[in-house]
Parts: sequence; structure tokens; C-alpha cells
Amino acid sequence: MEPKAKNRFVDYLNIDDHTVDRVIFSGDELYKTEQKKIFARGWNFMCHESQIPKPGDFFLNYIGEESVIATRDRTGKLQVFLNSCRHRGNAVCRAEMGNARAFLCTYHGWTYGLDGKLTGVPGFRELYQEKINRDEWGLIPAGKVQSYRGFVFATMDPEAPDLEEYLGDVGRTGLNFIASQGDMVVVEGVQKNRLECNWKIVVDNTFDWYHAQISHASAFMSGAFPRSLPDDTANELLHPFGSKQQRVLFGDYGHAISGPRLTDAVWDGLQRIAARDESIVPSPVMNSLLWRLDPRAGEELGEIGTRSLGHPHIFPNLFVSTITNQVALRLPKGPNETELWWFTFVNKDWPDEVKAGAISLATRVFGPAGMLEQDDGENWEMSTSGTRGLIAREYPLNYQMDAETTNLTVPEVGAPYIDTLVNEHAQLWTYRAWADWMSAESWEELKQNHATPQDVFKSA
Amino acid sequence: MFENNDQLLPPLPAVVTEPTLEHMLRHFEVEQFLIEEAALLDQGKFQDWLALFAEDVRYWMPIRRTMTTKDTARQFTRPGQMAFIDDDHAMLAMRVRRLKTGYAWAEDPPSRVRRLVTNIRITAATEDEIEVHSNFYTHRVRLEKEEDTWVGHRQDRLRRVDGALKIRQRAIFIESTVLQSPNLSNFF
Repeated sequence: MEPKAKNRFVDYLNIDDHTVDRVIFSGDELYKTEQKKIFARGWNFMCHESQIPKPGDFFLNYIGEESVIATRDRTGKLQVFLNSCRHRGNAVCRAEMGNARAFLCTYHGWTYGLDGKLTGVPGFRELYQEKINRDEWGLIPAGKVQSYRGFVFATMDPEAPDLEEYLGDVGRTGLNFIASQGDMVVVEGVQKNRLECNWKIVVDNTFDWYHAQISHASAFMSGAFPRSLPDDTANELLHPFGSKQQRVLFGDYGHAISGPRLTDAVWDGLQRIAARDESIVPSPVMNSLLWRLDPRAGEELGEIGTRSLGHPHIFPNLFVSTITNQVALRLPKGPNETELWWFTFVNKDWPDEVKAGAISLATRVFGPAGMLEQDDGENWEMSTSGTRGLIAREYPLNYQMDAETTNLTVPEVGAPYIDTLVNEHAQLWTYRAWADWMSAESWEELKQNHATPQDVFKSA
Repeated sequence: MFENNDQLLPPLPAVVTEPTLEHMLRHFEVEQFLIEEAALLDQGKFQDWLALFAEDVRYWMPIRRTMTTKDTARQFTRPGQMAFIDDDHAMLAMRVRRLKTGYAWAEDPPSRVRRLVTNIRITAATEDEIEVHSNFYTHRVRLEKEEDTWVGHRQDRLRRVDGALKIRQRAIFIESTVLQSPNLSNFF
């Protein structure tokens, strides 16, 4: 039941008052609309090319709630199909990864090639008298499948802009945080677990540099993040009140990067670590940042990227964890259910001990047993619960932190940004984009009618 | 085919437990050790539990994947790949410290957890070390109605130190590929 159905999706937000209607986190009808207008239309992360290097390699993923197969055909071309037989709808692939010569439906034996074509129909001659047109009954393909520096995405909508254009400056910079480190490959093993929360509550947390001091207090108190320097920027999340070093970058269609910047003291510390200054004992987090000193990384990321420790998010549901070299998908499984999938990257050419250190950091920080993530899940579940009540839904959620900022800067080149304190601007930006996606009936309409940062935030 | 054969440590000589007094005493000792260990966890005596681990322990839960029969040898990730948990003693001690901070929200208010440890098999041994397999069924209930169940198989390497058994290695092989719990804030 949706007690406050609004005329327009933007009415679920009160941008001027910086509040958001609770119903968007648990309304059944809104959830169904998201499946169609956001997930089927948007670019969804499928896998990294290193996970499916050879023809026939496949990785199962989802577009919204629908199972899809990401694979490579005989010619090496990336392909994405709905994992559903055209005869009775049964899955044609049940393993989550592997290598296949073809996709066989285990119900009646319809068989599809790696390019999705229907190649085998038992009884084609005897029972169908060769009268079904096999060319018309192949697996349902994605509208577009493209890869940016090895990151494979798919959209069901053939009218969608190409991936690079969709990602824009902000989305590309987000992925460059990983890709600019060299020949990056996914480590075997994607951690997956399910939470009873709405997917947007998890997305919201991507930009939340306010929660760590309380949510993750136990991790800091038990020594999970040793420091190299007294003002280690990586530990700014411990002191959100003191930090004036936050930067929020806004991208078209809802992409954003938000979080602390590397201070000069930490930048200097990194250079000393690189020069093997023995007065510093490098922490795992400092080690994970050393690559940014490479001039080539500086060129690819620019000044803004090189000095940013912000969390990039690619709309609708991909978080890039820059410190641990991971990406996390937040897959919707119903209005109140979400799966988290963590993909971890290392450089193929790193020495074994560097790879081991990176894998260890990722395992210990994030994932369901991670020192940080353990304490997130229940908060997100109970936040979602708190949006279901009909009484509670009369009261919107508060996003008023730093609401009076007039710091929006719109450079001639690159993404608009705000330099400020810890804030909730990227969350509001995400919800504003959500409303645009939900309102638009087509890509054409979305391209024309999406908000700009100037519509939402003030400049001096 | 469905057991994980990855060896983190060099293998010990295989043994088959026979109905001899010597084998029965060893089995009894190991069984009591694992049951007492589970009781410490069920009672929330985490510091006492930590004392059962050798200083050079590896405590490891690989990720399992749904794969076809021909690929079952690859269903678990291997040492050095990603895992749900890959802890040394310092990391286990950190997890125990975390629970005592008063800020470990995933376990505060504390969960009620009951562990069933069964099907204990000693498969290899020397004078000082024992390889033991056990099945576990761990059920966690918290708050009003949050319930999680983890089912799986453990492969432990026990070492005798000054007469007492210590856990030198614990490998936890879970049946789930997508964990149905919001976290892994408990111990196995």
C-alpha cells in the first residue's frame, strides 16, 4: 500500500527542504517501476573481462531481478542474454561461472549457441515439421554490451547512450581508480550475501562519511586501521567533524564521487614511503595508495582524481572501493531484499607478497565478515524496516547536513563539484537522478530532462 | 568429490580409527575438545575460546561457488584467492577485542547462538598433530526474530602443545554460495 502516491517522482523529494520521502525505500509499486525504468534501461555491471577471458567462459549476473549470462562467443565478442529458454522460460545456465560450448535447456533440450542463436530443437523435423523459425527464437539479448577498460556492462535498452558517454567524467574516473593501476584482474572468488534491506539504503551509505565514527567504532577501537602518520587522511573517516577536506563530484544520470581528499601531509608521507624513509611504518591503507605517485596515474586521473579518497558510485548500483581495489554490486531482490557482491582486483604483475597484502586487506575490511561491513547490515535492515510503517511514512528522512552550502563550482572542463565538510550532497544527487530516471519514458526523454547540479545546489 | 582437498599445511599420515583402546581414547579426547570449544562460544566466553588457538593459527573460510559437476574441484576458492575469512592469530584476537568494545553493533545486544558439532572423524595423525573433520550446524537468533543458519564442514589441524590440544588450522567449508545472513559476526 502506498499511502502517498505522488503526481511526479520528484515530489517524493523535497529538494529545498533537503528531505526524502520514506516510501521510496519500501514501496512495492515504486520498486516495480525501478526494475523497468532504472535497471532495464541503465548500464548494469556484469563482470570484468579477466573473469571471462576465453570463448565459452561465462559469469551469471542480474539485470534488476532477472538472471543474465555474460559470456564470450566463438569470435571473442562479449555477449549478454537473459538466462531464460524461449520455449518455457526455464534457465539455460545454472552454474554461476564456468565454460560452456552451448547453453542447454534442461527441460526439453532446446540448445543455444554462445552467440545466443537457437541451434538445437529436439524433434525439429518430426514434431515441428521444421516450421518454427529458429532465427526468431534465440536467447533474448541485451540491447547493448560494452566494456570500459575491462569492466563489462550491459543495458537492455538499445537506445541507451554508449557506455563511455553514460559513465561520463565521473563514472570513468571512478573505474580509473582501479584501471589506472595497470593490468588489473579479478581475484578468484566473489563474496555474495543477502540482506533484508532496500538497495538504495546501501547505495546511500556509499557516500556516508558521517556513520563510520559510530557504525564502525568497534573496528577502530580494536585496531583494524593502524596509522602511518598522525593525520593519515585514510583515517579522516574517524574524525568527520574536523574534516574540511571533503569533495563531492557530480556526474550526469546520478554518478557521483564523494569523500575525503588526500592532505598534503599524507601526500608527503606517501613520497617518503616510496623513498623508503624508515621513520614511517607504512600501514596497509598507505601501501594501497602508493601507486598514485606514478606520473601516468596522475595523467589518467587528473589532479582531482589523484588526490581523491572519495567513494565513486556508478548509477544505479556499483560502488568502487578505492582503498581496497574492489567493486561492490548491490543487486535488488525485492523492495526489502538486496544482495551484495564484492569483486576484488589485483595487478597481474604485482609480486606475490603485494598481491597477498591486497587480498588480505580486502578480505579483512569488507565482505560479510569484514571489520567494517559486519556492523553495517543490521543498520540497513532496520532503516528499511523504518520506512515501511504507514505512520512513519508521514515523516520524511533528513538530509540537511551542510544544506546551506553555496560552494558548487562548475569548471569549464570536468565535473561540477563542491568542496566542503562531511555532507549528504551525493545522496541527494542520487535521489534527484532517481526521480529523473523514474519520470522519463525513454532514453531520449531522460537525456533531455535530467537535472544538472546547478538545479540542485547553489554556487557562491 | 564434494570435499575440499586443498591442503593449507603439508598432509599428515592417514589413519583409520579402529575399535582399539588407543584409538578410542584419542577420539574421545578430540571429541571432548571440540564440544568444549563449541560450549565456550555458545556461552560467549570468547577470550577463553581464543586461548585454544595456536599462535601460528590460520582460520580460513573460502568462498563456495555453484558449479557444474565437471568443475566441482573448483567450487571452493583456494588459499591465496578471495575468502570470506582468512585470519591469523592477531586478526582473530582483533575480532574478539571488537566484541568487547561495547560498539560491536552486529552482536550487541548479543545474539543467542547454538552450535551443533557432529560426525567427528580423525583422518590423519602423528604423535603431535591430528587432522579432524567435523560437521557443524550453527543457528543464530537475535533481536525479536532475526534468524540465521550456517551449515558446513570443518577441517581442523590440532597440535599438542605442553600436553594440551591447540587449533593450528581451521578450514570452514560452508554449503552456501550466497550467504543468507547479513554478516558473519560470529565464530565457527
